[in-house]
Amino acid sequence: MGKNIEIRLSGSGGQGLILAAGILSNAFIAQGRNVAQSQAYEPTSRGGLSRSDLVVSDGEADYPLAHELDYLVILHQVAVTASENMIRDDAIVLTDSKLVTEPPKGKFRLLQLPITETAIKLGNRRIANTIALAALSAIGEFAGREELEKIVTRRSPKPYIDLNRDAFNKGWEMVIQA
Amino acid sequence: MLAKVERKNIQGNEACALGAIAAGCRFFAGYPITPSSEIAHTMSRELPGVGGTFIQMEDEIASMGAVIGASLGGVKAMTATSGPGFSLKQENLGYAAMVEAPCVIANVMRGGPSTGMPTRPGQGDIMQSRWGTHGDHPIIVLAPESVGEVYSETIRAFNLSEALRVPVVVLIDETIGHLLETVDLTPPDPASIIERKWATCDPKDYKPYEITKDRVPAMARPGDGYRAHTTGLTHDETGFPTQDTEKGKNAIGRLLDKLEYHKGKIESYEAIDCDDAETLIVTIGISARAAKRAIKSLRADGIKAGLFRPRTLWPFPEEAMRKAAGKAKTIIVPEMNAGQLIFEVERVIAGKCKTVGVNRYAGDIITPSEIEAAARKVTS
Repeated sequence: MGKNIEIRLSGSGGQGLILAAGILSNAFIAQGRNVAQSQAYEPTSRGGLSRSDLVVSDGEADYPLAHELDYLVILHQVAVTASENMIRDDAIVLTDSKLVTEPPKGKFRLLQLPITETAIKLGNRRIANTIALAALSAIGEFAGREELEKIVTRRSPKPYIDLNRDAFNKGWEMVIQA
Repeated sequence: MLAKVERKNIQGNEACALGAIAAGCRFFAGYPITPSSEIAHTMSRELPGVGGTFIQMEDEIASMGAVIGASLGGVKAMTATSGPGFSLKQENLGYAAMVEAPCVIANVMRGGPSTGMPTRPGQGDIMQSRWGTHGDHPIIVLAPESVGEVYSETIRAFNLSEALRVPVVVLIDETIGHLLETVDLTPPDPASIIERKWATCDPKDYKPYEITKDRVPAMARPGDGYRAHTTGLTHDETGFPTQDTEKGKNAIGRLLDKLEYHKGKIESYEAIDCDDAETLIVTIGISARAAKRAIKSLRADGIKAGLFRPRTLWPFPEEAMRKAAGKAKTIIVPEMNAGQLIFEVERVIAGKCKTVGVNRYAGDIITPSEIEAAARKVTS
């Protein structure tokens, strides 16, 4: 039985991180693993801290909430403080190079990636969640590229399938090149 | 061939609604309130498809009344609420206990008192779920710890409610209500679903509150030709009010004795590593999940820690807890309130060992490390 993996996708409300976490859950469940997904549940909908956490385990997790993060994505500065004290030393942290001006400091591996910039270049900044999802999955080796691309395509609204696929590929390659 | 069950992620509140439907619930009356609203939402979406009825009432008092009406009308019925809504349901909840109307009430606990912290977790209704309505009354309270258990315990809630004609509360933390976990929603074996006992005797011999050996009188199914009177006043076997104290003693005595008589059916608990546990943790819900993690680290360091988790919170499984605490020097009771469950634990253990509370009552959860620290402190 492998160790539980704790993943957090965080940013500002409206960046689509809860959706991205749900899509990532699908990939783990397809592999026969269990996922506990929790999110900040606050009376806010746009802006402000937004986060979604996954605890991936074989069988039901003893404790379903993240408290020692193995992987962390931060897409906005507002989300930095919330995770600062729960990042493992061997964690991998991905931050948006444009919107996170002061990334967290620690022994973990930090990658500052042009996620939002790439989304804007693709013509829609709202696609940043898919780019981040792909980058994180590539570096974490959570699932095969094709397998995950299929899930992203399946979960995408029809008019945005091509955009999501492009975003997915950009995100995946961003990490391979980094 | 077994039907392929899809493994998927669903939310605790959704699991509650789906469990209810799987158990045969076909009536939901409620008034939406955070953090329980997804139960009503799911019911409004799913019930019509199985021939059931969803109704949003004008408030919580009316929705509890509608649930009792539906139940007496012959339908398995439930409501769901939180915080102040649970307070409002208490008067009619007492009525349900008194007239022995089977029904299920899901209470997704939030921070209190009063309107408190609607979006934040709490476990402050542990005592209210037992003693929220006035007078001595029978009630069963089930406290699931995971999304999968919310599903199975909601099914069990309906089964107990139907078998024993007693209101059953499913007590869920906000954290579990809003958590998504991977479950396979295996539909229950139809043979395991309990239907209430309907009257089959000659209608002229029918006594709606007859004192029988199993303490559970048969119900009159509307349309079957039985005459039944229902009142919250103390009633004798005929169902009509009585001022006769001897008859009253028999009626209330049966009502209270009912749960004791069926204790074996009602009790459910989990005991982990209790056999040699010198430090026993007793807790429910998300705090029990934190305790499970804490026990693993404590055991890894050679500290003899165990967990006793009452899945049936009320009536409290006292003999089982006493047994689990056989070697205990200290019992730690983590709970998201200022100290409620600890009173029951102290009553049961009757001074035989030390008790220590780990408490949070301002909308934060209790973490595994906090429980671990408390255990290390008492063993150092």
